[in-house]
Amino acid sequence: MTGKLSLVVNGAKGRSISVPDDERLLDTLRWRLGLKGTKEGCRTGDCGACTVLVDGETTLSCLTLSHEVDGAKVTTIEGIAEDPEGRRVQAAFEAEEALQCGYCTPGFIVALTGVRRELGSEATSAALVDGLQGNLCRCTGYLAILRAVDRVRDGPP
Amino acid sequence: MPFTLEQPKTVREALQRLADPTGGPSVPIAGGTDLLLDLDEGRVASTRVVSLRRLPWNTMRWESDRLVVGSTLPLARLGTDPAVRRRLPGLVDAVDAVGSLALRHRATLGGNLGRAAPASDVVPVLLALGATVRLVALSGHRDVPVGQFVRASRQTDLAPGELIESISVPAAPVSSYVWQRVRPANDVSQVGVAVARSDSPSGWHVALGGVLPAPMRVVEAEAMLTQPNPSEAEVEVAAQAAARRASFVTDKRATESYRRRLVSTLVRRAIARALRDEASR
Repeated sequence: MTGKLSLVVNGAKGRSISVPDDERLLDTLRWRLGLKGTKEGCRTGDCGACTVLVDGETTLSCLTLSHEVDGAKVTTIEGIAEDPEGRRVQAAFEAEEALQCGYCTPGFIVALTGVRRELGSEATSAALVDGLQGNLCRCTGYLAILRAVDRVRDGPP
Repeated sequence: MPFTLEQPKTVREALQRLADPTGGPSVPIAGGTDLLLDLDEGRVASTRVVSLRRLPWNTMRWESDRLVVGSTLPLARLGTDPAVRRRLPGLVDAVDAVGSLALRHRATLGGNLGRAAPASDVVPVLLALGATVRLVALSGHRDVPVGQFVRASRQTDLAPGELIESISVPAAPVSSYVWQRVRPANDVSQVGVAVARSDSPSGWHVALGGVLPAPMRVVEAEAMLTQPNPSEAEVEVAAQAAARRASFVTDKRATESYRRRLVSTLVRRAIARALRDEASR
């Protein structure tokens, strides 16, 4: 079965689109809306590459049925810079060159933005890192990512 | 296998849809973080998925000394609630052990219990806490202790046409859950141990996860813990009793003998953690 749904993606209310009942948000974003920044890694909820914000909460888009989030606000890496917190996270990753192949980076940036919003500006680096436990970097480039987390913790310069 | 998605808004409608065989076998979905994988792999052969997310079960409330958790409440909500942290630290330990934060925004307590995974982190703590499950069917409600609800790996007492409405958990300010696994967020526990101290009747409850045939209480270990603050020797005897009593599987995550050693270590750690937490208040 296919049904209509509409999402508010990166602040823009989209037109109503036809989506199969069993389609995942990851596939709707990538293949129907053309937002290829959100990556498919494991498709089993283990790697965090597909992380997006749904109504502000970090969400694994590979384990989310699109129809179950009909009408929700979705933020992907393409829209993260419109969020001041997201822009700071992005800048911290840039400043620390916290990426190698870059495949996990959209997931890390979106997740850190969501975790920082959820935990508040007083959150310690340890708490922020704990919120990133579900994001894997297959290049194992974690040291630079940890430096980026410290930068985010310290807030705006 | 492709499936259709139904999103009823009332409990009655959900129960009717699950009871109606038209269109093929159906399965209820809450967070879906476990079920969707089984649907993808064909381990669950349902062609109709009935979502519970629009039912009024995304709730939690205290009824005097019991926390009543609606079955579709996301786990992350339990982990961040100050009253739950204070009155049910063991439950928070277990909830925080499930996957990553993003997964816990979606995964639910009812889903974890209903799926009855052998290495569930949540089931052992619900056993140690003496939680009960409220089930609902078109014919009415029934309440079942978690120990009777989970029968074996992936097997529960849930009858066809029944749904988990809520889970009722008595407060236990002295409780904890500890686990061992290779990676924190991307793996399941090799073994998990939950402990809770109750005042009436006074005594300790000890429950294990990652054991055969399903998570279980170990009364042999509990019998050794006669004091609110047991001595090191008592804890040691209880830890050994728990390790002797349980059966373990050898699989890709750990060998049988490693799991057995882990249990005794984790029983000691769980009791120490619960008491340390109490002493720090």
